[in-house]
Amino acid sequence: MARVRRIETPGELPESEAIRLAQAGNAAAFERLYRLHNRRVYSLCLRMVGNTAEAEDLTQEAFLQLFRKIATFRGESAFSTWLHRLAVNVVLMRLRKKSATESSLDEMTEPDEESGGPRRDFGMPDLRLSGSIDRVNLQRAVDQLPPGYKAVFVLHDVQGYEHNEIAEIMDCSIGNSKSQLHKARMRLRELLHESMRDKAREDRKAAGNAGGED
Amino acid sequence: MSTAQFVPLRFNWKTGLLAPGLLLVTSSAVFAHNIEKHFKVEPRSVVTIHNPNGKVVVKAWTKSEVMVIATHASDKVEVDAEQTGNRVDVMTHQISNSISPDDLRADYQINVPEDAELQIHDDSGEVSVANVLGDMNVETVGAGVDLEDAAGYLTVRTVGGSFQCIRCAGRLEVSSISGSFKLLSLRSYHVHAQTSKGNILFDGEFLPNGIYRLKNYSGVIEVHFSPGDSFDLSATSLKGKVNSQASLTPPAHAHPVYSKFGNAILGTFNAGHAKVELSSFDGTINILKRE
Amino acid sequence: MATVTCKDFQGRFELPEDLARGSSPGDLSVQAHLRDCPSCRSFIEDLGKIRAAAAQLVASDPEPPARIWFSLRAELEKEGLIRDTPSKTPSKSWVRELFSGRFTALPRPVLAGGYLAALLAIAFGLSGPINSRINRQRWLDGTQSSTEPLSAQLMSAEKASFSSFPASESPVTASLHQNLEIVDNYISLCENSVREEPENELAREYLYEAYQQKADLLAQLNEQ
Repeated sequence: MARVRRIETPGELPESEAIRLAQAGNAAAFERLYRLHNRRVYSLCLRMVGNTAEAEDLTQEAFLQLFRKIATFRGESAFSTWLHRLAVNVVLMRLRKKSATESSLDEMTEPDEESGGPRRDFGMPDLRLSGSIDRVNLQRAVDQLPPGYKAVFVLHDVQGYEHNEIAEIMDCSIGNSKSQLHKARMRLRELLHESMRDKAREDRKAAGNAGGED
Repeated sequence: MSTAQFVPLRFNWKTGLLAPGLLLVTSSAVFAHNIEKHFKVEPRSVVTIHNPNGKVVVKAWTKSEVMVIATHASDKVEVDAEQTGNRVDVMTHQISNSISPDDLRADYQINVPEDAELQIHDDSGEVSVANVLGDMNVETVGAGVDLEDAAGYLTVRTVGGSFQCIRCAGRLEVSSISGSFKLLSLRSYHVHAQTSKGNILFDGEFLPNGIYRLKNYSGVIEVHFSPGDSFDLSATSLKGKVNSQASLTPPAHAHPVYSKFGNAILGTFNAGHAKVELSSFDGTINILKRE
Repeated sequence: MATVTCKDFQGRFELPEDLARGSSPGDLSVQAHLRDCPSCRSFIEDLGKIRAAAAQLVASDPEPPARIWFSLRAELEKEGLIRDTPSKTPSKSWVRELFSGRFTALPRPVLAGGYLAALLAIAFGLSGPINSRINRQRWLDGTQSSTEPLSAQLMSAEKASFSSFPASESPVTASLHQNLEIVDNYISLCENSVREEPENELAREYLYEAYQQKADLLAQLNEQ
């Protein structure tokens, strides 16, 4: 068994060394790996499930699976990619359980127009998304995305992963990743437009009710 | 270059001010002192107000200017407003050693651009802020604080002063010892309200991924919800009661270990998008459906 | 040159990235459509805004709470995945994580008593995470040995502050004194509660916060 060095300052341990020591069962090394990646994993889970309590559970589950399997990590891919793959799988499995049907990643997207998806009008004069987009409204819209779209959108646009990394994380093709992202953004655009129209309607109603009082 | 116009009556005045501005002084009564000052500012200006006793009313307007109107009755205090870069500092100075609390009183009416950041310290009196969207830090001892249509990162601390917040957004942190809070029509994504001996009323929106933590030692915590809301709830009172009209589903996840002590209601309402944590030492917690 | 419809244009998923990078789409008909169609120009701009706003989302995410690690670590120990001898002194980062942000509602500078409140919290944290292996008496002993010196420190600070004030005090100092009495009362209630149920973490949390409030009030009194 490898001799375990006592870690006095876990904050300074390089990741590669932390992986090696964690494979030998070192507690401080586990903690170091957790601290390096917890924020990103938690953020991913939170964006996917939309509530903090479930995100906490999923974060813990993802790291638990990681640490159970860490002895098998051989460095073929980046550690963070491996971790995020585990995290995405944990999240998607939870979402699949909720929808109570087994479905592939490709099926967890919006139905196309032929099968009754929302009608999309092309080329119509429409409301531009004026100014910058409110963070709260954007998150509300993201919450309404189907899981597959949501996963790719969160990984690419929120967390900054490239399509080749997303393809590895989600076990799909790069083309599939790009296509899903595009559809996610288009759907978000529609949702944000709806939200703008609702707000404009409410404002007009409020102005009417106020009757000009100041 | 600025033009200063003033009527030298019974007041003291600091004239070594750095910034140009229009200076206008009037006096309407023998013992009443008024000053009015204007300062041109850039976007995201900072305005600080330090007033031991009196009313502080801050409103937003569309001009890129900070206007300060101050009134004080006693000549044992003086009021100052100075500009340094994009920061305007307003303060009440005591200029006599023997001074009663009433002498120390000064009232302010301040207009600021809506993106201004405010820092207000007013021990006793009242603080009222409307339509300002920049970050805010308010500290009082006994003064009540009233915020309307504010946004940004709002931190409020009082000792005994009450707090009311209507139609505010952004992030809110408020604490007090004996002040009570009314949080109405809020659209904040993070609310942390803590008082010891006061009541807390929350009647606002639970935004997805929002966190709402309300805590007291004694008194009532009352939260209103609508059927369309969605939150994970953890409500615990160590020695008091917890009453809920929300039909909750038991959550799939574990909850903090301390929930086994005292009276607690834990569960998920609809999809559990927001997180609501209510905690009292021996007060009552009521979770009530809006009518 | 083939005509590109809006549906064709908006369906080309690589376009927004190309345009964002400043690359001009090679297809002339696509370029012409972008030039001539305000709706599709608006479409591209909107997708850019969504992408920009999304990049800001992560900045607003809350920190993962400390309990995730505590729970995870307990599970790792249970499953035997952690194999080295647990240290008697826990990692500093764990202790710092436990108490960071605990008193963020009270950011004022505080007396030495407030500092001692933080030390109390750290001293208590040295007892380790709550689990079934830690017995009641150990909690009670730990609490008493930590709170007694702190309580004494705050009492002497309180006496010093009262003696330095004139007989007639301002409404502000009167209010501070009244609130000090309120907090003293809560400290007493919390201490009783902790004595009755030493494993009750919530009661201890209330007690620590009451000490912090007291130290803060004393600091404000000193400033008056």
